[in-house]
Amino acid sequence: MNIDRILDVFRAELSLDSLEVRDVPDDETIVALPSEEIHRAVHLLVERFDLRHLSTITGVDIGDEIELLYHFWAGRGLTLRTSLPKEDPHIATLTDVIPGASFYEREVWEMLGVTFDGHPNLQRLFLPEDWGEGSLPLRREEEK
Amino acid sequence: MSRITIPIGPQHPALKEPISFLITVEGEEVVDGDLRIGYVHRGLERICQKRSYVQAVHVVERVCGICSHIHATIYCQGVETLLDLEIPPRARYLRTLLCELERIHSHLLWLGVLGENIGFTTVFMYAWRDREIALDIMDELSGGRVLHAANVIGGVGIDLDEEQIHSALTRIEDLERRMETFLGVIRNEQTFRTRTQGVGRLTKEEMRDHCVVGPVARSAGVDVDLRRDAPYAAYDELDFSVITAEGGDVWAGAWVRGQEVVESLRICRQVLEELPDGPISTRARRRVPEGEVVSRGEAPRGELIYYIRSDGSDSPARVKIRTPTLPALLVFPLQLRGITTADVPTVMSGLDLCIACADR
Repeated sequence: MNIDRILDVFRAELSLDSLEVRDVPDDETIVALPSEEIHRAVHLLVERFDLRHLSTITGVDIGDEIELLYHFWAGRGLTLRTSLPKEDPHIATLTDVIPGASFYEREVWEMLGVTFDGHPNLQRLFLPEDWGEGSLPLRREEEK
Repeated sequence: MSRITIPIGPQHPALKEPISFLITVEGEEVVDGDLRIGYVHRGLERICQKRSYVQAVHVVERVCGICSHIHATIYCQGVETLLDLEIPPRARYLRTLLCELERIHSHLLWLGVLGENIGFTTVFMYAWRDREIALDIMDELSGGRVLHAANVIGGVGIDLDEEQIHSALTRIEDLERRMETFLGVIRNEQTFRTRTQGVGRLTKEEMRDHCVVGPVARSAGVDVDLRRDAPYAAYDELDFSVITAEGGDVWAGAWVRGQEVVESLRICRQVLEELPDGPISTRARRRVPEGEVVSRGEAPRGELIYYIRSDGSDSPARVKIRTPTLPALLVFPLQLRGITTADVPTVMSGLDLCIACADR
Protein backbone atom coordinates (compact mmCIF):
# COMPACT_ATOMS: atom_id res chain seq x y z
CA MET A 1 0.00 0.00 0.00
CA ASN A 2 1.45 3.35 -1.01
CA ILE A 3 0.01 5.67 1.59
CA ASP A 4 1.32 8.86 -0.04
CA ARG A 5 -0.41 8.09 -3.32
CA ILE A 6 -3.65 7.40 -1.48
CA LEU A 7 -3.41 10.71 0.34
CA ASP A 8 -2.69 12.53 -2.94
CA VAL A 9 -5.81 11.01 -4.48
CA PHE A 10 -7.85 11.99 -1.42
CA ARG A 11 -6.61 15.57 -1.68
CA ALA A 12 -7.37 15.74 -5.39
CA GLU A 13 -10.74 14.00 -5.48
CA LEU A 14 -12.45 14.81 -2.20
CA SER A 15 -13.80 18.19 -1.17
CA LEU A 16 -11.63 18.87 1.85
CA ASP A 17 -10.37 22.01 3.54
CA SER A 18 -7.42 20.16 4.97
CA LEU A 19 -6.42 16.57 5.56
CA GLU A 20 -5.48 15.49 9.05
CA VAL A 21 -3.07 12.57 8.89
CA ARG A 22 -1.46 10.81 11.83
CA ASP A 23 0.90 7.84 11.89
CA VAL A 24 0.60 5.59 14.90
CA PRO A 25 3.06 2.83 15.81
CA ASP A 26 3.03 -0.52 14.08
CA ASP A 27 2.43 0.69 10.55
CA GLU A 28 -0.93 2.35 10.92
CA THR A 29 -2.00 5.66 9.38
CA ILE A 30 -5.10 7.39 10.65
CA VAL A 31 -6.78 9.84 8.28
CA ALA A 32 -9.59 12.09 9.50
CA LEU A 33 -12.33 12.82 6.97
CA PRO A 34 -15.74 14.53 7.12
CA SER A 35 -18.56 11.98 7.38
CA GLU A 36 -20.07 12.89 4.00
CA GLU A 37 -16.77 12.07 2.25
CA ILE A 38 -16.27 8.58 3.73
CA HIS A 39 -18.27 6.75 1.08
CA ARG A 40 -16.46 8.53 -1.76
CA ALA A 41 -13.09 7.89 -0.10
CA VAL A 42 -13.77 4.17 0.28
CA HIS A 43 -14.99 4.07 -3.31
CA LEU A 44 -11.63 5.54 -4.37
CA LEU A 45 -9.73 3.00 -2.25
CA VAL A 46 -11.56 0.15 -3.94
CA GLU A 47 -11.52 1.51 -7.50
CA ARG A 48 -8.03 3.01 -7.69
CA PHE A 49 -6.06 0.90 -5.25
CA ASP A 50 -8.03 -2.35 -5.08
CA LEU A 51 -7.95 -1.90 -1.31
CA ARG A 52 -11.00 -3.85 -0.24
CA HIS A 53 -10.07 -5.44 3.03
CA LEU A 54 -12.09 -3.68 5.70
CA SER A 55 -11.00 -5.33 8.95
CA THR A 56 -13.76 -3.79 11.02
CA ILE A 57 -15.53 -0.59 11.99
CA THR A 58 -14.99 0.70 15.52
CA GLY A 59 -17.53 3.04 17.05
CA VAL A 60 -16.54 5.14 20.06
CA ASP A 61 -18.76 7.40 22.14
CA ILE A 62 -16.51 10.36 22.93
CA GLY A 63 -19.04 12.36 24.88
CA ASP A 64 -20.74 14.81 22.56
CA GLU A 65 -19.98 12.91 19.37
CA ILE A 66 -19.79 9.37 18.04
CA GLU A 67 -16.50 8.59 16.39
CA LEU A 68 -16.27 5.95 13.67
CA LEU A 69 -13.02 4.28 12.64
CA TYR A 70 -12.84 2.24 9.46
CA HIS A 71 -9.84 -0.07 9.72
CA PHE A 72 -8.42 -1.15 6.35
CA TRP A 73 -5.45 -3.38 5.76
CA ALA A 74 -3.25 -4.18 2.77
CA GLY A 75 0.29 -4.89 3.87
CA ARG A 76 -0.06 -2.06 6.38
CA GLY A 77 -2.97 -0.45 8.16
CA LEU A 78 -5.07 2.51 7.07
CA THR A 79 -7.80 3.83 9.34
CA LEU A 80 -10.36 6.40 8.21
CA ARG A 81 -11.73 8.41 11.10
CA THR A 82 -14.91 10.47 11.11
CA SER A 83 -17.23 11.83 13.75
CA LEU A 84 -20.99 12.20 13.83
CA PRO A 85 -23.28 14.30 16.03
CA LYS A 86 -24.70 12.29 18.91
CA GLU A 87 -28.26 13.38 18.16
CA ASP A 88 -29.52 11.18 15.33
CA PRO A 89 -26.17 10.12 13.79
CA HIS A 90 -26.33 9.16 10.10
CA ILE A 91 -23.76 8.04 7.55
CA ALA A 92 -23.90 6.39 4.13
CA THR A 93 -23.53 2.61 4.11
CA LEU A 94 -20.46 0.98 2.56
CA THR A 95 -22.25 -2.26 1.74
CA ASP A 96 -22.71 -1.22 -1.92
CA VAL A 97 -18.91 -0.91 -2.31
CA ILE A 98 -17.74 -3.54 0.21
CA PRO A 99 -20.41 -6.18 0.97
CA GLY A 100 -18.24 -7.31 3.90
CA ALA A 101 -19.15 -4.12 5.79
CA SER A 102 -22.65 -5.44 6.47
CA PHE A 103 -22.13 -7.05 9.89
CA TYR A 104 -19.75 -4.33 11.08
CA GLU A 105 -22.35 -1.66 10.35
CA ARG A 106 -25.13 -3.64 12.01
CA GLU A 107 -23.01 -3.94 15.12
CA VAL A 108 -22.27 -0.19 15.30
CA TRP A 109 -25.97 0.50 14.69
CA GLU A 110 -27.23 -1.64 17.54
CA MET A 111 -24.46 -0.76 19.99
CA LEU A 112 -24.21 2.99 19.36
CA GLY A 113 -27.29 3.95 17.38
CA VAL A 114 -25.57 5.10 14.19
CA THR A 115 -27.91 4.72 11.19
CA PHE A 116 -26.22 3.55 8.00
CA ASP A 117 -28.32 5.00 5.19
CA GLY A 118 -28.95 2.51 2.41
CA HIS A 119 -27.97 -0.61 4.37
CA PRO A 120 -30.09 -3.46 2.96
CA ASN A 121 -30.73 -5.21 6.28
CA LEU A 122 -30.10 -2.99 9.29
CA GLN A 123 -31.23 -5.41 11.99
CA ARG A 124 -29.97 -6.60 15.34
CA LEU A 125 -26.99 -8.90 15.22
CA PHE A 126 -25.77 -9.57 18.77
CA LEU A 127 -28.44 -8.15 21.06
CA PRO A 128 -31.36 -10.35 22.12
CA GLU A 129 -34.75 -9.83 20.51
CA ASP A 130 -36.28 -8.54 23.74
CA TRP A 131 -33.52 -5.99 24.39
CA GLY A 132 -35.09 -2.65 25.29
CA GLU A 133 -35.89 -0.39 22.35
CA GLY A 134 -33.55 2.61 22.30
CA SER A 135 -31.09 1.13 24.79
CA LEU A 136 -27.63 1.42 23.25
CA PRO A 137 -25.09 -0.62 25.25
CA LEU A 138 -21.90 1.16 24.21
CA ARG A 139 -23.21 4.69 24.73
CA ARG A 140 -21.81 6.54 27.73
CA GLU A 141 -25.31 7.09 29.15
CA GLU A 142 -25.52 3.34 29.68
CA GLU A 143 -22.43 3.28 31.87
CA LYS A 144 -24.41 3.52 35.08
CA MET B 1 -42.07 -27.66 -5.80
CA SER B 2 -43.02 -25.75 -2.66
CA ARG B 3 -40.42 -24.08 -0.51
CA ILE B 4 -39.96 -25.03 3.11
CA THR B 5 -37.88 -23.07 5.64
CA ILE B 6 -36.20 -25.22 8.26
CA PRO B 7 -34.89 -23.63 11.46
CA ILE B 8 -31.69 -25.28 12.71
CA GLY B 9 -30.31 -24.28 16.11
CA PRO B 10 -29.48 -22.49 18.34
CA GLN B 11 -29.12 -25.91 19.95
CA HIS B 12 -27.24 -27.72 17.32
CA PRO B 13 -26.89 -30.99 15.47
CA ALA B 14 -23.65 -30.04 13.71
CA LEU B 15 -21.87 -27.49 15.88
CA LYS B 16 -21.16 -27.38 19.57
CA GLU B 17 -21.98 -23.71 19.94
CA PRO B 18 -25.26 -21.80 19.74
CA ILE B 19 -26.10 -20.30 16.37
CA SER B 20 -29.41 -20.32 14.55
CA PHE B 21 -29.74 -21.03 10.84
CA LEU B 22 -32.79 -20.71 8.64
CA ILE B 23 -32.39 -22.98 5.65
CA THR B 24 -34.92 -22.70 2.81
CA VAL B 25 -35.21 -25.84 0.70
CA GLU B 26 -37.03 -26.90 -2.44
CA GLY B 27 -37.10 -30.66 -2.15
CA GLU B 28 -33.49 -31.69 -1.61
CA GLU B 29 -31.99 -28.46 -2.87
CA VAL B 30 -31.12 -25.53 -0.62
CA VAL B 31 -32.25 -22.26 -2.20
CA ASP B 32 -31.60 -19.76 0.56
CA GLY B 33 -30.09 -19.44 4.00
CA ASP B 34 -30.01 -16.92 6.79
CA LEU B 35 -28.52 -16.91 10.27
CA ARG B 36 -28.88 -15.34 13.68
CA ILE B 37 -26.04 -15.00 16.17
CA GLY B 38 -25.68 -13.32 19.55
CA TYR B 39 -26.73 -16.18 21.83
CA VAL B 40 -23.40 -16.01 23.65
CA HIS B 41 -22.88 -12.26 23.47
CA ARG B 42 -21.33 -11.37 26.80
CA GLY B 43 -20.47 -7.72 26.25
CA LEU B 44 -16.76 -8.38 26.74
CA GLU B 45 -15.72 -5.08 25.14
CA ARG B 46 -17.61 -3.13 27.77
CA ILE B 47 -16.32 -5.43 30.52
CA CYS B 48 -12.72 -4.71 29.43
CA GLN B 49 -13.41 -0.99 29.64
CA LYS B 50 -14.48 -1.40 33.26
CA ARG B 51 -11.31 -3.29 34.25
CA SER B 52 -7.69 -2.26 34.50
CA TYR B 53 -5.30 -3.09 31.66
CA VAL B 54 -3.90 -5.95 33.70
CA GLN B 55 -7.29 -7.44 34.55
CA ALA B 56 -8.44 -7.12 30.94
CA VAL B 57 -5.73 -9.61 29.87
CA HIS B 58 -7.76 -12.31 31.59
CA VAL B 59 -11.03 -11.03 30.14
CA VAL B 60 -9.85 -11.12 26.53
CA GLU B 61 -8.42 -14.59 27.02
CA ARG B 62 -12.00 -15.72 27.55
CA VAL B 63 -13.28 -14.39 24.23
CA CYS B 64 -12.61 -17.77 22.65
CA GLY B 65 -12.59 -21.26 24.06
CA ILE B 66 -10.21 -22.59 21.42
CA CYS B 67 -7.77 -19.82 20.57
CA SER B 68 -7.54 -18.06 23.93
CA HIS B 69 -3.82 -17.35 23.82
CA ILE B 70 -3.83 -15.36 20.58
CA HIS B 71 -6.42 -12.95 22.03
CA ALA B 72 -4.26 -12.20 25.04
CA THR B 73 -1.18 -11.94 22.78
CA ILE B 74 -2.72 -9.40 20.41
CA TYR B 75 -4.18 -7.41 23.29
CA CYS B 76 -0.89 -7.33 25.25
CA GLN B 77 0.99 -6.43 22.10
CA GLY B 78 -1.32 -3.45 21.60
CA VAL B 79 -0.90 -2.26 25.19
CA GLU B 80 2.87 -2.73 24.93
CA THR B 81 2.89 -0.56 21.80
CA LEU B 82 1.00 2.14 23.70
CA LEU B 83 3.53 1.84 26.53
CA ASP B 84 6.39 1.89 24.00
CA LEU B 85 7.70 -1.27 25.62
CA GLU B 86 10.01 -3.79 24.01
CA ILE B 87 9.52 -7.30 25.37
CA PRO B 88 12.47 -9.73 25.79
CA PRO B 89 13.24 -12.12 22.90
CA ARG B 90 12.55 -15.19 25.04
CA ALA B 91 9.04 -13.89 25.75
CA ARG B 92 8.42 -13.33 22.03
CA TYR B 93 9.47 -16.91 21.29
CA LEU B 94 7.34 -18.40 24.06
CA ARG B 95 4.30 -16.43 22.86
CA THR B 96 4.90 -17.76 19.37
CA LEU B 97 5.17 -21.32 20.62
CA LEU B 98 1.79 -21.20 22.33
CA CYS B 99 0.20 -19.47 19.32
CA GLU B 100 1.33 -22.30 17.07
CA LEU B 101 0.36 -25.10 19.47
CA GLU B 102 -3.04 -23.46 19.62
CA ARG B 103 -3.26 -23.43 15.83
CA ILE B 104 -2.39 -27.13 15.73
CA HIS B 105 -5.03 -28.01 18.30
CA SER B 106 -7.63 -25.78 16.63
CA HIS B 107 -7.05 -27.23 13.15
CA LEU B 108 -7.10 -30.83 14.40
CA LEU B 109 -10.27 -30.16 16.35
CA TRP B 110 -11.78 -28.77 13.15
CA LEU B 111 -10.67 -31.78 11.12
CA GLY B 112 -12.37 -34.03 13.67
CA VAL B 113 -15.62 -32.06 13.53
CA LEU B 114 -15.56 -32.18 9.74
CA GLY B 115 -14.90 -35.93 9.82
CA GLU B 116 -17.86 -36.46 12.10
CA ASN B 117 -20.15 -34.34 9.94
CA ILE B 118 -19.29 -36.13 6.71
CA GLY B 119 -19.88 -39.47 8.40
CA PHE B 120 -16.20 -40.35 8.54
CA THR B 121 -15.99 -41.14 12.25
CA THR B 122 -12.50 -42.63 12.02
CA VAL B 123 -11.07 -39.23 11.10
CA PHE B 124 -12.95 -37.71 14.02
CA MET B 125 -11.56 -40.27 16.47
CA TYR B 126 -7.97 -40.07 15.23
CA ALA B 127 -7.91 -36.27 14.88
CA TRP B 128 -9.19 -35.73 18.40
CA ARG B 129 -6.85 -38.36 19.78
CA ASP B 130 -3.86 -36.68 18.19
CA ARG B 131 -5.05 -33.21 19.16
CA GLU B 132 -4.42 -34.38 22.73
CA ILE B 133 -0.70 -34.34 21.98
CA ALA B 134 -0.81 -30.59 21.38
CA LEU B 135 -2.99 -30.14 24.46
CA ASP B 136 -0.56 -32.18 26.55
CA ILE B 137 2.36 -29.99 25.51
CA MET B 138 0.39 -26.87 26.41
CA ASP B 139 -0.71 -28.42 29.69
CA GLU B 140 2.89 -29.19 30.60
CA LEU B 141 3.97 -25.72 29.57
CA SER B 142 1.32 -23.58 31.20
CA GLY B 143 -0.75 -25.84 33.45
CA GLY B 144 -3.84 -25.33 31.29
CA ARG B 145 -5.13 -27.18 28.26
CA VAL B 146 -7.05 -24.31 26.72
CA LEU B 147 -6.75 -21.30 29.02
CA HIS B 148 -3.05 -20.69 29.61
CA ALA B 149 -2.86 -17.31 31.36
CA ALA B 150 0.63 -17.18 29.87
CA ASN B 151 0.67 -13.56 28.78
CA VAL B 152 1.36 -10.61 30.96
CA ILE B 153 1.79 -7.04 29.79
CA GLY B 154 5.54 -6.90 29.18
CA GLY B 155 6.13 -10.54 28.32
CA VAL B 156 5.00 -13.94 29.54
CA GLY B 157 4.59 -15.46 32.97
CA ILE B 158 5.71 -19.00 32.17
CA ASP B 159 9.09 -20.43 31.35
CA LEU B 160 10.46 -23.70 30.01
CA ASP B 161 13.31 -25.78 31.40
CA GLU B 162 15.50 -28.21 29.44
CA GLU B 163 13.42 -31.20 30.43
CA GLN B 164 10.19 -29.61 29.22
CA ILE B 165 11.82 -28.64 25.93
CA HIS B 166 12.99 -32.20 25.42
CA SER B 167 9.58 -33.63 26.23
CA ALA B 168 7.82 -31.17 23.90
CA LEU B 169 10.22 -32.00 21.04
CA THR B 170 9.54 -35.72 21.43
CA ARG B 171 5.80 -35.12 21.27
CA ILE B 172 6.15 -32.84 18.26
CA GLU B 173 8.09 -35.54 16.43
CA ASP B 174 5.27 -37.95 17.17
CA LEU B 175 2.67 -35.52 15.86
CA GLU B 176 4.71 -34.83 12.71
CA ARG B 177 4.53 -38.55 11.87
CA ARG B 178 0.81 -38.69 12.49
CA MET B 179 0.16 -35.65 10.30
CA GLU B 180 1.47 -37.61 7.31
CA THR B 181 -1.45 -39.98 7.79
CA PHE B 182 -3.97 -37.13 7.94
CA LEU B 183 -2.58 -35.47 4.84
CA GLY B 184 -2.78 -38.84 3.11
CA VAL B 185 -6.44 -39.19 4.07
CA ILE B 186 -7.29 -35.68 2.89
CA ARG B 187 -5.45 -36.18 -0.41
CA ASN B 188 -6.32 -39.77 -1.29
CA GLU B 189 -9.27 -41.10 0.64
CA GLN B 190 -12.25 -41.47 -1.67
CA THR B 191 -14.95 -40.92 0.98
CA PHE B 192 -13.30 -37.74 2.17
CA ARG B 193 -12.92 -36.32 -1.32
CA THR B 194 -16.43 -37.20 -2.48
CA ARG B 195 -18.05 -35.53 0.48
CA THR B 196 -15.97 -32.34 0.43
CA GLN B 197 -14.84 -31.56 -3.11
CA GLY B 198 -16.89 -28.88 -4.84
CA VAL B 199 -19.01 -28.37 -1.71
CA GLY B 200 -19.51 -24.79 -0.53
CA ARG B 201 -17.33 -23.40 -3.28
CA LEU B 202 -16.49 -19.69 -3.16
CA THR B 203 -14.40 -17.66 -5.58
CA LYS B 204 -11.45 -15.50 -4.67
CA GLU B 205 -13.49 -12.42 -5.57
CA GLU B 206 -16.32 -13.43 -3.23
CA MET B 207 -13.83 -13.95 -0.43
CA ARG B 208 -12.28 -10.55 -1.00
CA ASP B 209 -15.63 -8.74 -1.36
CA HIS B 210 -16.77 -10.09 2.00
CA CYS B 211 -13.42 -9.42 3.71
CA VAL B 212 -13.05 -13.13 4.59
CA VAL B 213 -9.77 -13.99 6.32
CA GLY B 214 -7.61 -16.93 7.32
CA PRO B 215 -7.62 -20.49 5.98
CA VAL B 216 -11.07 -20.03 4.41
CA ALA B 217 -9.79 -17.15 2.26
CA ARG B 218 -6.46 -18.90 1.60
CA SER B 219 -8.34 -21.96 0.34
CA ALA B 220 -9.54 -19.80 -2.57
CA GLY B 221 -6.13 -18.34 -3.30
CA VAL B 222 -6.18 -15.16 -1.19
CA ASP B 223 -2.51 -15.07 -0.27
CA VAL B 224 -2.61 -13.25 3.07
CA ASP B 225 -1.15 -14.36 6.37
CA LEU B 226 -0.31 -11.74 8.99
CA ARG B 227 2.44 -13.90 10.43
CA ARG B 228 4.35 -13.25 7.22
CA ASP B 229 2.80 -9.95 6.05
CA ALA B 230 2.81 -8.03 9.33
CA PRO B 231 5.07 -10.08 11.59
CA TYR B 232 4.59 -9.91 15.33
CA ALA B 233 6.01 -11.93 18.25
CA ALA B 234 8.99 -13.88 16.79
CA TYR B 235 7.59 -14.67 13.34
CA ASP B 236 10.06 -12.50 11.42
CA GLU B 237 12.91 -14.67 12.74
CA LEU B 238 11.34 -18.01 11.87
CA ASP B 239 11.14 -19.95 8.64
CA PHE B 240 7.71 -21.11 7.47
CA SER B 241 5.51 -21.12 4.38
CA VAL B 242 2.07 -19.65 3.87
CA ILE B 243 -0.26 -22.28 2.45
CA THR B 244 -2.79 -21.39 -0.22
CA ALA B 245 -4.95 -23.49 -2.50
CA GLU B 246 -7.34 -23.04 -5.40
CA GLY B 247 -10.96 -24.04 -5.38
CA GLY B 248 -12.40 -22.42 -2.27
CA ASP B 249 -14.40 -25.54 -1.36
CA VAL B 250 -14.42 -27.54 1.87
CA TRP B 251 -11.74 -29.89 0.53
CA ALA B 252 -9.37 -26.99 -0.23
CA GLY B 253 -9.96 -25.72 3.32
CA ALA B 254 -9.00 -29.11 4.72
CA TRP B 255 -5.89 -29.25 2.55
CA VAL B 256 -4.80 -25.77 3.63
CA ARG B 257 -5.38 -26.47 7.33
CA GLY B 258 -3.69 -29.86 7.18
CA GLN B 259 -0.55 -28.36 5.69
CA GLU B 260 -0.70 -25.45 8.07
CA VAL B 261 -0.44 -27.88 10.97
CA VAL B 262 2.75 -29.23 9.42
CA GLU B 263 4.11 -25.68 9.09
CA SER B 264 3.11 -24.93 12.68
CA LEU B 265 4.99 -27.99 13.86
CA ARG B 266 8.01 -26.71 11.97
CA ILE B 267 7.68 -23.37 13.76
CA CYS B 268 7.34 -25.07 17.17
CA ARG B 269 10.47 -27.09 16.50
CA GLN B 270 12.43 -23.96 15.55
CA VAL B 271 11.21 -22.10 18.64
CA LEU B 272 12.14 -24.94 20.96
CA GLU B 273 15.54 -25.46 19.37
CA GLU B 274 16.46 -21.78 19.11
CA LEU B 275 14.82 -20.45 22.27
CA PRO B 276 16.90 -17.40 23.30
CA ASP B 277 18.17 -17.12 26.85
CA GLY B 278 17.29 -14.24 29.09
CA PRO B 279 14.38 -12.83 31.07
CA ILE B 280 10.76 -13.60 30.17
CA SER B 281 9.23 -10.25 30.98
CA THR B 282 9.94 -6.59 31.59
CA ARG B 283 8.24 -4.39 34.08
CA ALA B 284 5.29 -2.45 32.69
CA ARG B 285 3.73 0.67 34.12
CA ARG B 286 0.12 0.38 35.22
CA ARG B 287 -0.94 3.69 33.74
CA VAL B 288 -0.90 3.76 29.98
CA PRO B 289 -0.18 7.06 28.21
CA GLU B 290 -2.92 8.59 26.10
CA GLY B 291 -3.08 7.17 22.60
CA GLU B 292 -4.61 4.61 20.31
CA VAL B 293 -3.38 1.48 18.62
CA VAL B 294 -4.57 -1.07 16.10
CA SER B 295 -3.11 -4.47 16.92
CA ARG B 296 -3.40 -7.36 14.48
CA GLY B 297 -2.40 -10.99 14.38
CA GLU B 298 -3.14 -14.28 12.71
CA ALA B 299 -5.42 -16.41 14.89
CA PRO B 300 -6.06 -20.03 13.79
CA ARG B 301 -9.12 -18.74 11.89
CA GLY B 302 -7.41 -15.68 10.39
CA GLU B 303 -6.88 -12.01 11.03
CA LEU B 304 -7.71 -10.94 14.56
CA ILE B 305 -7.85 -7.22 15.25
CA TYR B 306 -7.89 -5.24 18.47
CA TYR B 307 -8.37 -1.49 18.60
CA ILE B 308 -7.35 -0.07 21.98
CA ARG B 309 -7.74 3.55 23.02
CA SER B 310 -6.18 4.93 26.14
CA ASP B 311 -7.16 8.12 27.97
CA GLY B 312 -4.08 8.08 30.19
CA SER B 313 -5.67 6.17 33.07
CA ASP B 314 -5.10 2.59 34.24
CA SER B 315 -8.09 1.18 32.36
CA PRO B 316 -8.75 1.26 28.60
CA ALA B 317 -11.19 3.86 27.26
CA ARG B 318 -12.22 1.58 24.38
CA VAL B 319 -11.39 -1.97 23.39
CA LYS B 320 -12.78 -3.17 20.09
CA ILE B 321 -12.37 -6.80 19.10
CA ARG B 322 -13.09 -8.25 15.68
CA THR B 323 -12.64 -11.97 15.45
CA PRO B 324 -12.09 -13.86 12.19
CA THR B 325 -15.37 -15.80 12.36
CA LEU B 326 -17.53 -12.73 11.82
CA PRO B 327 -16.75 -12.21 8.11
CA ALA B 328 -16.91 -15.99 7.55
CA LEU B 329 -20.52 -15.95 8.76
CA LEU B 330 -21.29 -13.46 6.03
CA VAL B 331 -20.44 -15.88 3.22
CA PHE B 332 -22.23 -18.85 4.74
CA PRO B 333 -25.58 -18.06 3.04
CA LEU B 334 -23.73 -17.80 -0.32
CA GLN B 335 -22.18 -21.23 0.17
CA LEU B 336 -25.54 -22.80 0.85
CA ARG B 337 -27.20 -21.90 -2.43
CA GLY B 338 -27.59 -24.84 -4.76
CA ILE B 339 -26.24 -27.55 -2.45
CA THR B 340 -28.29 -30.48 -1.17
CA THR B 341 -29.51 -30.77 2.41
CA ALA B 342 -27.03 -33.58 3.07
CA ASP B 343 -24.17 -31.15 2.46
CA VAL B 344 -25.41 -28.48 4.87
CA PRO B 345 -23.48 -29.87 7.90
CA THR B 346 -20.34 -30.16 5.74
CA VAL B 347 -20.57 -26.48 4.79
CA MET B 348 -21.32 -25.51 8.39
CA SER B 349 -18.23 -27.24 9.67
CA GLY B 350 -16.13 -26.28 6.64
CA LEU B 351 -16.01 -22.63 7.68
CA ASP B 352 -14.60 -23.51 11.12
CA LEU B 353 -17.00 -21.15 12.87
CA CYS B 354 -16.23 -20.12 16.42
CA ILE B 355 -19.45 -18.61 17.66
CA ALA B 356 -18.24 -17.53 21.10
CA CYS B 357 -15.51 -15.59 19.29
CA ALA B 358 -17.90 -13.91 16.90
CA ASP B 359 -20.38 -12.99 19.64
CA ARG B 360 -17.88 -11.83 22.27
